Amino acid sequence: MQLAAHQRKLLDLIRSGRVPDRSDDPYIQRVAASDDLKEAQRNIFLWRVYVLERTAPLTFTVLKQRELLRSAIGEFIGTCNVSPFRETQAPAFLDLMSRHDDSLVASVAQFELAFLRVRQGDAGHFVVRWNLEPTTILNELARGLPVSIDAPRGDYQVVISRELPYQFKVISPPSAHVAASPLENPTRCAVASLG
Amino acid sequence: MDTDTRLAGEKAKAGTPIGVSYEGRDPDLLGQILPVVRYIEVTPETIAEIRGDEIHLSPEVLSELKDIGKDARIIVHGVGLSIGSHEGCSNTYLRLLDELLEHVDVAWHSEHLGYTKVDGEHLGIMLALPKTAAVLDMVCERVSAIQNRYKLPFLLENIVHVIPDYPGDYSDAAFLNALAARTGCGLILDIYNLECDAHNQRFDVASFLDELQLEYVRELHVACGVEDNGFLLDVHSQLTRPSTIELAKLALSEATCNAEVVVYEFMPEAVPGLGREKISQELSRLRTAFQH
Repeated sequence: MQLAAHQRKLLDLIRSGRVPDRSDDPYIQRVAASDDLKEAQRNIFLWRVYVLERTAPLTFTVLKQRELLRSAIGEFIGTCNVSPFRETQAPAFLDLMSRHDDSLVASVAQFELAFLRVRQGDAGHFVVRWNLEPTTILNELARGLPVSIDAPRGDYQVVISRELPYQFKVISPPSAHVAASPLENPTRCAVASLG
Repeated sequence: MDTDTRLAGEKAKAGTPIGVSYEGRDPDLLGQILPVVRYIEVTPETIAEIRGDEIHLSPEVLSELKDIGKDARIIVHGVGLSIGSHEGCSNTYLRLLDELLEHVDVAWHSEHLGYTKVDGEHLGIMLALPKTAAVLDMVCERVSAIQNRYKLPFLLENIVHVIPDYPGDYSDAAFLNALAARTGCGLILDIYNLECDAHNQRFDVASFLDELQLEYVRELHVACGVEDNGFLLDVHSQLTRPSTIELAKLALSEATCNAEVVVYEFMPEAVPGLGREKISQELSRLRTAFQH
């Protein structure tokens, strides 16, 4: 048994779900056919759930509410080389989700990633575009409530920067009739309390 | 009365102290657990934070750990060393350990006998090693290198077998015995991992304990996870089950067992669900259980 080849084959089975062929040794074929392998993959999934629920709560919640969580975490496991360092998982996950086909998921993930970076001391100035009114949605997500499907549509922006009093503010399109000032925006409290 | 019986009697009377995993940044929890425990187990990966493109230990948590040192001994228990990877151990983990040991007084450090990465690709889970003579040689060499680097006692833990075992040259216990005998490293006996293996893989725990040379064991771990699809998962999210405590007591009752602490492990994500008060009560329960 060559350790390198052995470990590479197990990595392929676990991460990529590769189906073994006849050239694989009987042990690899036995693992591939076992319930244990499926459970190991589910174990990896559950570990990601445990960590991301805590470290990327807004994006986790919006994915869960839109029944996209399973596919999102599956894509994350399959495509991202995520280390056991917990702190690396949320940025990698949020980066991936920032490109999600669902525009609301993408906006929430971009916001959460920028907010995370700013809280970690990033001096950058981030702007996230939303096509739904973000104040209500962020507030609902931060409180674990279902997001409003009838939130006003429009070209909204959320600016995230450590220079801002609450590290972010919502800029509404001129025609919108929603709170634009961060000082009057209840979302800031809920989001700031996420830890 | 022979020596073994006398030592066993003395140990039973004094009891085995309790330790607990703690990941920092939770002074309320710390305040509740410190009066009950003598050891605090720290995992470098969970107290690390990202700064730019680099990973460093949180200065805030390091400061906390220095303060804890007045009330409890700190022990380090990593998950990212990956001592069994064919390409070698994780340098990122070793750098973090360097940083931790530079700032905090540590009684000993430990890791798992397994691997989490292959060619730099992370498995997302920890796998057990094939128990062959060649793998034993490789691991012994790496353990010796770690011992030379840190000049601190180093322990390795039996891990859960999440996939069927590779048919090797050694049994699980014989592999651990040989590793400890050849390198002088200590062992962590994770009781809950044994229970998971018994449940999931029909692992014969009694035979394992009969064969394992308990004089190498310096630390016991207890924990509890959840059952999923009929499998017992190693997720450390629950209070310990009576069966885990009984099995730990059985190991401790052996006169040769050199365990200096029983550590109750839970992951930080489990704290809201378990509750700080419940965790403190659990530690008191364990302290009582292992004192008698």
